[in-house]
Amino acid sequence: MKELNRREFIKNSTAVTASVATVASGISLTTFAAGPKETDPVTNEKRWGMLIDTNKLTEVDIEDMVSACQEEHGWGEETHSTGDQKPGWIKKVKVKDTATQRISNLALMCQHCEEPPCVDVCPTNASMKREDGIVLVDKHRCIGCRYCMMACPYDARSFVHEDLSNQKEHMPRGKGTVESCTLCVHKVDKGEQPACVEALNSDAVVFGDLLDPTSNIHQTLKRVQSTQIRADLNLNTGVRYSGI
Amino acid sequence: MSIIRYEQTQGKSLGFYALIAGLGAFILAALGSVYFMEHSGHHVTGMSNRIVWGLPHVFALFLIVAASGALNIASIASVFNKKIYKPLSRLSGLVALALLAGGLMVLVLDLGRPDRLIVAMTEYNFESIFAWNIILYNGFFLIVGVYLWMMFERRMNKYSRKVGIAAFTWRLILTTGTGSIFGFLVARQAYDAVIMAPMFVVMSFAFGLAFFVLVLMASYKWTERALGDAIVNRLSNLLGVFVAAVLYFVAVYHLGNLYLAENSGVENFILMDGGIYTQLFWYGQIILGGLLPLALLYSPATKGNRSMLGLASVLVILGGLAQLYVIIIGGQAYPMELFPGKEILEGYGTIAAYTPTLPELMLGLGGIAVALIAITYLVKFLPFLPESLADHVADPHHKN
Amino acid sequence: MSRLLVVFLSVMLGSAIAHSDYHIPNLGEKATEFKDEGKEAHKREGMSHAASLILQRKMHPELLLHKRDKTLRQGVRGGYAQLKECVECHTSVDKNGEHVPINAPDQFCATCHEKVGTSLDCFSCHRTTPAEEL
Ligand code: SF4
Ligand code: SF4
Repeated sequence: MKELNRREFIKNSTAVTASVATVASGISLTTFAAGPKETDPVTNEKRWGMLIDTNKLTEVDIEDMVSACQEEHGWGEETHSTGDQKPGWIKKVKVKDTATQRISNLALMCQHCEEPPCVDVCPTNASMKREDGIVLVDKHRCIGCRYCMMACPYDARSFVHEDLSNQKEHMPRGKGTVESCTLCVHKVDKGEQPACVEALNSDAVVFGDLLDPTSNIHQTLKRVQSTQIRADLNLNTGVRYSGI
Repeated sequence: MSIIRYEQTQGKSLGFYALIAGLGAFILAALGSVYFMEHSGHHVTGMSNRIVWGLPHVFALFLIVAASGALNIASIASVFNKKIYKPLSRLSGLVALALLAGGLMVLVLDLGRPDRLIVAMTEYNFESIFAWNIILYNGFFLIVGVYLWMMFERRMNKYSRKVGIAAFTWRLILTTGTGSIFGFLVARQAYDAVIMAPMFVVMSFAFGLAFFVLVLMASYKWTERALGDAIVNRLSNLLGVFVAAVLYFVAVYHLGNLYLAENSGVENFILMDGGIYTQLFWYGQIILGGLLPLALLYSPATKGNRSMLGLASVLVILGGLAQLYVIIIGGQAYPMELFPGKEILEGYGTIAAYTPTLPELMLGLGGIAVALIAITYLVKFLPFLPESLADHVADPHHKN
Repeated sequence: MSRLLVVFLSVMLGSAIAHSDYHIPNLGEKATEFKDEGKEAHKREGMSHAASLILQRKMHPELLLHKRDKTLRQGVRGGYAQLKECVECHTSVDKNGEHVPINAPDQFCATCHEKVGTSLDCFSCHRTTPAEEL
């Protein structure tokens, strides 16, 4: 550890004070020499969505999706949480139609509602919806009140019940805050597909921009029958299903 | 009517210090529990991703609901101009503030990140009923504080009625707000009822009064001041009416839910085959917290007996806790209807398990202890209690 | 304007404190290398390197905070201030060749934060070591 040369320091502070003022006034942080260029904010010209075709989806497929998600985001290795305390961003659900006895399997995660109840109830604006429809928890603001978990109709959210370490770089997670499927926003922003979709790599799960008429998902939704889970709640979910 | 003289309690007796020490022990235990829970994370509690609000929330909401109810006595005196309750107004305001403080403490200390409380105070989402509640609670402190000041300060007395009306309105909104916390949970069938909000208002009347009665009787007994039957019997009657009203609302709520076919599942669960929740509902909430107190308050054998009134009040409080347990935890334990017309075989749809743990219980009890210690101290430092509430003081026209 | 004032005052105050008691904390492995090679980290245009460093030191919370909300809430990616880059350069390696968490005592972040008694909340969620090479 070295002492900064005192004279040099005094000389510099004056200059710094002046330049800090410049920076602060405009917060024009782009004057930094290093670092890649910032992208523009996302807009509502896009709305990300997913279509899950349960007819084409085997149980193994769903398990693959779940483990791809775990791998990508690092959840599921909690050592202290037990039973329902373990996080579950995406889970395999098996349902049987009571009238026809038909069984279908599906992957259930945050449905990225257009009218998300979790966002409506969150007292601190920590639960939020990006312009492009991705619903996230801003963990910088989350106070861990869990009201969003009470409000979500899809049981999609998890509360971190213990200390964590070794998180993924792109997925900060911590004790006392709430988390859920991010639609792999870090990948989507790079132009990639969510991890579960990539893992499957079949047309059983289609991901894309619901608003873009040329997108695969838009075209498929036009063609095949599909539903939203609990469509009666009018949340206009971004995740759709066919075959249930 | 003779002049009411208010006087501080002495607060020098052994009993006073024993009380403080006992309550202090509970508060320490609560703080220890909080440290343990926050340090290790919520995995040491019984709460989970399915039962996200547990025992601490039962206590917290109970206290918050009771707080607004405790203000009733003051409201009856000022808003409805019933003179006999006037001498009790100060105590009523104090109990209300103390209960609210205790409830909020529990609520805050159970947060995942209580260290970020400042965020909750600065980042408001005005669409959130929860955020509105934060404003309502703060406002309640303010208004009741002002109200107390008007009552204490002789030259301000003339405004006390106006402020009293404001406080009364505020407390109605506040309890409606608390009830609406559940009303906004559209997907949870147990809470899918418009009647939740008014039911919470009526619950607040009963719980708050029960608490008030206990505080009143205990403080007069322990300070050896006179407390006449005129007041006690009225409070006892009032409590009976409120308890009956709660039962009525509970009946309407459940009948209404039974009538709605889509909610019959959760109704069966609570009323018939919900195990602990069914037992708590019938034995705890209905029998212990409703029918038995009514019997104690009205049956000729026990009517007018102070110990029995005390017992009835304790039962109302226990019944109230049971009721909130059934509403909050039972309502979460029963799964949401994800796929109407389909049966979920795997992945979701079971009844969620919840076993409360000791730290959760201690935190909840700590909230009650905080409320009681605040009352005990403040009646020592400020003249909240009339020096005598003997019949000839409280109600000169009272005839035995 | 008020923001400017706050920054200005805190810089003045900060310099006064730093003046009497300033030492460079454990810079971390890559940052030390970088420095020893004589490269100028955190250099801003139109500002001397030493001045840029002081600015970086004084204003890193503002820089990060500003970027943090933009990234998470508006989807702005890239740019200069990224916490993972801080971690990348400023973590040290112990004798077994393992990275030491940057918020551990005596490490880059903790040194100053402990000294001035400000909380170090980033790492209750963020990763404290550089990501492993895949
Ligand atoms: S599914 Fe649940 S968590 Fe996801 S946006 Fe909808 S309400 Fe929020
Ligand atoms: S737990 Fe966090 S994200 Fe959920 S409602 Fe509370 S503050 Fe918002």
